[in-house]
Amino acid sequence: MCDEGLMERSHTQKPLELILARNLLTSISTPAFLVDASASVVFYNEAAAALLGRSFEEAGRMTADEWTAAFGPFDEEGEPMEVDSLAPTEAIRDGRPAHGRFRIRAAKGAVSIEASAIPIVASEHGSSGAMILFWPLEPNGAEPREG
Amino acid sequence: MTVRVKVWGARGSVPSPGPQMNRYGGNTSCVQVTLASGEILILDAGTGIRTLGLDLTGRERIHILLTHLHLDHIQGLMFFPPCFRAESEIVIWGPASPEASLEDRIARYISAPLSPVEVRELPCSVAFRDTPASEWELGGARIRAEAVTHRGPTLGYRIEDLDTTLCYLPDHEPSLGAPLAGLEPDWISGFDLAREADLLIHDCQYADEEYPEHVGWGHSGMTDTLTFARRVAAKRLLLFHHDPLHADDFLDEFHGSARRAWESLGGDATLLEMGMEGAELEISAHHPVHA
Repeated sequence: MCDEGLMERSHTQKPLELILARNLLTSISTPAFLVDASASVVFYNEAAAALLGRSFEEAGRMTADEWTAAFGPFDEEGEPMEVDSLAPTEAIRDGRPAHGRFRIRAAKGAVSIEASAIPIVASEHGSSGAMILFWPLEPNGAEPREG
Repeated sequence: MTVRVKVWGARGSVPSPGPQMNRYGGNTSCVQVTLASGEILILDAGTGIRTLGLDLTGRERIHILLTHLHLDHIQGLMFFPPCFRAESEIVIWGPASPEASLEDRIARYISAPLSPVEVRELPCSVAFRDTPASEWELGGARIRAEAVTHRGPTLGYRIEDLDTTLCYLPDHEPSLGAPLAGLEPDWISGFDLAREADLLIHDCQYADEEYPEHVGWGHSGMTDTLTFARRVAAKRLLLFHHDPLHADDFLDEFHGSARRAWESLGGDATLLEMGMEGAELEISAHHPVHA
């Protein structure tokens, strides 16, 4: 008897493309983040840890809301920005690269950054997430509002 | 009830015949799995599948599970005797690709000028199954396929039959950019496939001193293979995909080194074996036995 019907497998392991992306990010000196298809941060590298002042091992996986509460983002006037308008969200939602500029709460205070987000799209099951590279600029903007 | 495994080719990269290769064999990857139901699965179609095919008389339906389409895993297809029997029904499973169908990609090999015959000319009935990461059933066994770290689209297979689990990862470099010893399990390529397998057949193409010259080629060095096997808690390990430069005497020493290293990691040296052409193994969940 032979049932050749393919079924969705139980999935506990990260998709291979995310594993390979993490391996790459581990090896580069640009601050970089890996988010999954739900926009949760599932990894960031040592350069990003230096920028944020907290290692990924210490911080752990963060949902988009948890990330926002901890680090921002904020606009140039220090106002909180909508997550939906950010480059990483666009990259995952639209499946295309996105680039943006915003400020985050970093280890040394507010930092302006440019961020490039590259979607990770596997042919067999759509988007797996995105790689986001941060390019810190001079911390010359307004301080983000607290609260 | 046991699952039986026979190795028809354990060599990697390219066939490597010669008197100095006679014991381990020169044929490329091909493993026959006989399930408890009696159904046969063939893992990869390297040159070893030719002699396997000579043994397969009276079987009409044959499933071939390809890990990927590098030549050392498909070269034997064109010389597989059942392909030339009208009564044969052959189903070929292999990795999906956005670039072309499985059939079209295999047809690049089984077509002019590389081949005197075309796929459409084969007298057998042949079907191709582009296989995503998925689970399905064959012959009463549960098959699971996942993408694993190698060059190009590559699958690893986990076969669960009754209470026995076999994992086949012949071309796999899980340590690429990843510290296997300390990484969380869900970030290790192939982890779920190999977890607590009763038999893990795994790439071990290189000695540790050879590996630095081959980082990123998609294959593993000895220490990484053993570390992976320990991380997944494999109960028995078969080292596979031998480098074509590794002659019998070298592989004998390699085996000894691997067993010592395996013991130093807390493993049982008697449960670490070398893939050897013609070797037959019986696997069960609790009592591994040499046939």
